[in-house]
Amino acid sequence: MAIIDPKFGKKLKKYGAYEFDACYNCGSCTAVCSLSTEEDSFPREMVRFSVLGMKDDIKSSLKPWLCYYCGECTTYCPQTANPGELMMSLRRWLITIYDWTGLSGLLYKYWLVSLFAFLLAAAGVLVFGYYNDYNLESLMHYGHLFEMMAIAGVFAFILLPNIIRMWYFVILKPGLKISLITYIKDFKELLIHMFTQKRTLGCDDSVRRWFEHFILVISYLTLLFVTVFLNWFSTQYLFVNILGYVVSAVIVIVTIDFIIDRIRKKKEISKFSQPSDWLFVIWLSLMGFTAMAVRVLIDTGLLEKNVWLYLIHLIILVQWALIIVPFGKWTHFLYRSFAMYFAKLKAG
Amino acid sequence: MPGNIKEASFDALVIGGGIAGGEAALNLANNGFSVLLVEKDLSIGGKMILLSKVFPTLDCSACITTPKVSEISRHPGIKIFTRSEVTHIVKRGEKLFEVDITKKPRYVAEEDCTGCQLCETACPVIVPDQYQYDLVGRKAAFIPFSIASPRVAAIDIENCTLCGACEKACPPQCIDFTQKEEEYIVRVKAIIIATGFNLFDPLLIPRFGFGIFKNVITSMQMERQLAPTRPFNTILRPGDGKVPCKIAYVLCTGSRDATVGNPICSQICCMYSIKQAQLLMGALPMADVTIYYINIRSFGKGFEEFYEQAKGMGVNFIKGKIGKITENEKGDLILRYEDINENRLKETEHDLVVLSVGSIANHDAAAWFSDGELKLDPFNFIYQPDSLASPAKTSLGGVFVAGTASGPMDIPDSILSAGAASAEAISYLIRQ
Repeated sequence: MAIIDPKFGKKLKKYGAYEFDACYNCGSCTAVCSLSTEEDSFPREMVRFSVLGMKDDIKSSLKPWLCYYCGECTTYCPQTANPGELMMSLRRWLITIYDWTGLSGLLYKYWLVSLFAFLLAAAGVLVFGYYNDYNLESLMHYGHLFEMMAIAGVFAFILLPNIIRMWYFVILKPGLKISLITYIKDFKELLIHMFTQKRTLGCDDSVRRWFEHFILVISYLTLLFVTVFLNWFSTQYLFVNILGYVVSAVIVIVTIDFIIDRIRKKKEISKFSQPSDWLFVIWLSLMGFTAMAVRVLIDTGLLEKNVWLYLIHLIILVQWALIIVPFGKWTHFLYRSFAMYFAKLKAG
Repeated sequence: MPGNIKEASFDALVIGGGIAGGEAALNLANNGFSVLLVEKDLSIGGKMILLSKVFPTLDCSACITTPKVSEISRHPGIKIFTRSEVTHIVKRGEKLFEVDITKKPRYVAEEDCTGCQLCETACPVIVPDQYQYDLVGRKAAFIPFSIASPRVAAIDIENCTLCGACEKACPPQCIDFTQKEEEYIVRVKAIIIATGFNLFDPLLIPRFGFGIFKNVITSMQMERQLAPTRPFNTILRPGDGKVPCKIAYVLCTGSRDATVGNPICSQICCMYSIKQAQLLMGALPMADVTIYYINIRSFGKGFEEFYEQAKGMGVNFIKGKIGKITENEKGDLILRYEDINENRLKETEHDLVVLSVGSIANHDAAAWFSDGELKLDPFNFIYQPDSLASPAKTSLGGVFVAGTASGPMDIPDSILSAGAASAEAISYLIRQ
């Protein structure tokens, strides 16, 4: 028996969804969706579940993650119920459901909490700087140490448990029996989708969007690798140095293009922006930009006199690594890939 | 030509010669009032005269309309202007309207034409026949359709090559290329607007493929194929002339759809589609007919039984609106939809698709009056300020509305509405 939460619709509106209750169940959205299939038909089912407040059914569903927001459903919805934005809101809601700490929920629902978290992170960096007398060498030393610890810590204590929770909701709880061999055999699905994001190509006329996302993800991961493991800010190797510049430039260019799209609101996907969407693109852009600026000052020997710039970079980095990555939109990257993996497992 | 303006006066003016306008004109004339009936088309009878049968009784539509049309055209109290358009209406005072009417030339002397059709045979020009909804061709010198009233030829001057063949062929020599537009100023005491509705243009929904895929037709085209005066004498799909065996109906094409600016229900499409499905089961006993719907709205008297009857006859009903239509190399069509009851996306092949097009407001009337005198509702139908107590009244005293000019409705409701409008008009006319 399905359990219904009559207040669910109202809750969902805090995550950006609106007017989805205008849906009259014609199924146009599903029928025009390029990604919907006979096995996984969406978004109408999700709209129905949301209107009725069937939370458990949404929780155990991968469909919100199978949607890549092509926007056709919203364009052609005869009731202007905006199914595309509803799916986006369900993803935001699911992020908070998967998150065992409950912090995502607070950050999504209350912008004041987000502001407080960002200020706290900034204050932390400044206090830390103060105790190190704003000495560049020790700042950079600890900054680099922080990067490594943050990656390991966030992954071990937040992301991994959250993915296990996701697995529990969609595979274990519904009682699906999947053999270990299938888990191993289908594992490549996870990697393929994580690194190529190829499902975006399923949207009609979206080669540009896919390409931007593809190079963004690759550049982001490369930047992470170059700064953390190849120590870009201290490296002597010309190749590593140039690679760092290239990837951070790509990040800045692509994210600025995304920001322009969100300001122009011409495409369905960029018409509706929640604070979490803005924070994600702007902070990613700032990350790339400040990293590049820091390296420019290192190469010109001016960083000694401009420690403030490194501090700003560190603040952005800390906010990114401790707030946006574990609790914000960054997790899309992870959950989407795992959703494709789990979907493959479910299909058998 | 200011010198040529003709003047006339009548008790009432009825604008629109469809079933609602005709009924209202008859009621007024039978009560002793003189009526001018203005019709912009070549024949009176409106859309109803072109239909096959009516729901839910399956009575022959033409057989109901033609006697009525004859009665209207022979009534001594009714003067009919076909191919005429109202251009301006001014209210000069209580029970006094001044109406400008343009009577366009037919290039045929109406009173002399015998309807022998020899001009049609002689004419070398062939163009799509709008009265058969472009399914077949007609000549540029033509009688609109066999049961037209008046059953008089006309020259389609836009396509005419002025070769003169018809002139030579015409026995009473009634073809007259020198005819000019005639301007009238008509004084009337009351006006009934019965301008009807327009069919939704499915070209506005490109993903349904109308105009691109030949075997996607409108419900009006299917209506013609089922009518007694039908073009083919059987049901054929236009692409290759094959008799279809798997027919799909796409309900709510242009109705209940905010993306095309018409969020309201057209009220007739469910029932006429069910009617056509039943007629198809009779015409093509081996054919499968599937109706794709959002909700079947069978609200009128006998409608639900009619729906059940269609189900009993074997018409398939699938809940789910069509999202996209594509064509394969055989000219068959693939319909993509979500089967709502099964919660599953599906693609199904059909060899003929009928788009059940909705009714859209014909808002010509508002432009005849000075700014804002005649108010329209949010969907461009004529606004009824007192829709419960006096549904025929408009925002302007002495101007009444009949039939689908006030909103989507079926034939019985249109006739009822015309009755209400004529009753209101009569009581307005006799009030001191």
